Amino acid sequence: MRTIGLAACLAAALAASPALAQKVIRVWHTETQPNSQEAVKNIARRFEAKHPGVKVEVEALAWGDLEPKIMQSLAAGAPPELSHGQPITCTALQSKGLLLPLDEVVKALGENNIWDQVKRVCRVGNRQYGLVHAAGTSLLIYRKDLAQKLGLKPPKTWADLVANAKAFSTQGMAGITIPGDNLFINILLGELVKANGGLLFDKQNRPQVGSKPVLETLDFIRDLTQYAPKGWEGHGYLETFTNLSAQKAAMMYQGYGRGASLIEKNAPPNLANAEHFDVWVKPVGPSGSEPAAQVDEEPWMLFKGSKNPKEAIEFLKFFYQKENYLEYVQTVPIHLFPITKSLRADKDYQATPMIQRWKSWIEVQEGYLNKDQGKPTLVVDWDDMNSKPYLMEVLGSGILRDMVMDVALEHKPAKDAAARAQKRLEELLKTKGYLK
Amino acid sequence: MRGARAGWLLVLPAVALIAALSLYPVAYGIWLSFYNKHAFFPGEQFIGLANYAAVLADEEFWRSLRLGLVYSLSTIVLQLVIGTGAALLLNEAFPARGLVRAIAIFPYVVPTVVAVIIWKWLLNNQFGLVNYLFSISVSWFGRDWIMVSLILVSVWQFFPFVLLAVLARLQTIAPELYEAAKVDGASAWRRFLHITLPQLAAVLFVVVLLRSIWMFTKFDTPWLLIQGGGAEPYIRTLPVYTFQRTFAYYEAGRGSAMAVLMFLLLVAATAIYMRLWRREEQL
Repeated sequence: MRTIGLAACLAAALAASPALAQKVIRVWHTETQPNSQEAVKNIARRFEAKHPGVKVEVEALAWGDLEPKIMQSLAAGAPPELSHGQPITCTALQSKGLLLPLDEVVKALGENNIWDQVKRVCRVGNRQYGLVHAAGTSLLIYRKDLAQKLGLKPPKTWADLVANAKAFSTQGMAGITIPGDNLFINILLGELVKANGGLLFDKQNRPQVGSKPVLETLDFIRDLTQYAPKGWEGHGYLETFTNLSAQKAAMMYQGYGRGASLIEKNAPPNLANAEHFDVWVKPVGPSGSEPAAQVDEEPWMLFKGSKNPKEAIEFLKFFYQKENYLEYVQTVPIHLFPITKSLRADKDYQATPMIQRWKSWIEVQEGYLNKDQGKPTLVVDWDDMNSKPYLMEVLGSGILRDMVMDVALEHKPAKDAAARAQKRLEELLKTKGYLK
Repeated sequence: MRGARAGWLLVLPAVALIAALSLYPVAYGIWLSFYNKHAFFPGEQFIGLANYAAVLADEEFWRSLRLGLVYSLSTIVLQLVIGTGAALLLNEAFPARGLVRAIAIFPYVVPTVVAVIIWKWLLNNQFGLVNYLFSISVSWFGRDWIMVSLILVSVWQFFPFVLLAVLARLQTIAPELYEAAKVDGASAWRRFLHITLPQLAAVLFVVVLLRSIWMFTKFDTPWLLIQGGGAEPYIRTLPVYTFQRTFAYYEAGRGSAMAVLMFLLLVAATAIYMRLWRREEQL
């Protein structure tokens, strides 16, 4: 009898314990840099301190692992409250009714305070289903000192860029470095097609890889990669930055602002500055009229099936508060642009030492964003965000990467490589019911 | 009668466990192969044999099958040659033989992820030790060499399995056989050919069978090798393509059809192999 009484008391005590009564917000993000991870954790701890009874479980995931993990959690019926994701993933999930709107967070930030470019990501009608954590664009990084020595001018056209790559390749290093993995080849192709005035899919979802702008793009990649390091197709993103900072290559087409930290860390001290590693505005293709860049801007997504969406909204509001958000963006200041106008104009933000050191990198990115020349991966037109929910599958399939490799490595005529990709893409879209 | 019933009752838990853990997933996989089903979202549509027809018409399937055969056949041959050679060496008496034997099986006990990371560092074409030591400039993970790198890593990792199996058998061969052959004037090569090899035949049969199954279905090594860079299309073997079809194209039905076909190919190859072996034994 006494044992039963004790067990009952223990059960009652456990039920009343705050640990068990806690509401948990699970947060998945893609900022795997240690200082960024630390910043998110700090923000979570401060939020917990202000909200007793709420626990924030933060998990940093590699880019490549995130999408499968999101899908698996959805299949298991146990999605996290919040997660980063590719803009095209956000659109795909929204189209399946799996996300909750973040309008309350937008309202708290002030709708007019958010950059217009950012509001276009995962917005359906007047509702915001994804809110970008921070934005940064791809950059064409080059060795300024060598360019000056060779008398090279900023490339206006693709032909200029190939000529510059050729000139750089006389300096005992590769003219250009490009990552060969699937994600980055998709990013590259998307922005080049945009810079050449083309489309990847038309309004009826028919692939357009056999069109003139895409064929010209493939020919350009073939010409440019002649000056890439041998075996470039096996290089990952970080390896290409190592090529650049270790003076194995003079230009990097798919560079990003976060690379400034890598240069400061890895390049010889006398070279590790914007006087030696600067950025050019990306050139325009023969059929295009303006430059294009990819915007790396994963949105936060709030999942419908999660347990504590209200608390998650409160957490997001807290995340974007000045002191928290500033701590976050300052961990990678040249890449994580604040989404709010107020923080971008803020003195504390502007005084960030790295921003002072790499000003030209910031200016080029601001140019892309302000002129709306930056789009998310594979998004050539903003309409694609909502009208093409299959871009996530296209990216995952690797069909576009195979097409690029057929031309750049197998030296197949662009037309033949495009015909093969066209057939595979049509089959993919037909299977999924997007193409009749 | 009662005894038989009790016997059935006793084996029932084991049968249920096997059914739940082995048969159900296989049956579910076969069932899925007849449906158009997203990898993660609910809902499916029965499409009969359409997945199989699509797989057989997919040139990428045949390409991945070809790459898978190149990979598995070359790794099996090299593992057999190196593993058997190493076993013959380690069967001889020499100082510190125990230590050398322990070191030789080291690659087999290293987790695959660790093995691949080590080799990715060693073979890095810009900063790797291999290129540095040999003063060469080979792009080990580029188009021309990535299959060679994959084979190299796999052989390094799995030859100790052959070594262990062969060494165990070598230690049970009666020394009298060799002594008698020596008395008859048989050279070392003839002793190997007429005594060692026939004695090893049974174990090599099992080793070849197991390694063929394991190498043909090997997923982790090629997959890890292409993470964070690596010319993936050139080592897109059948298991890798099956995984991609399922989890990157999100086509669980098509992926299952490919897995079923892979299973059938293995069953057919095993049956042919067993038949050839039996015929050889009868001769």
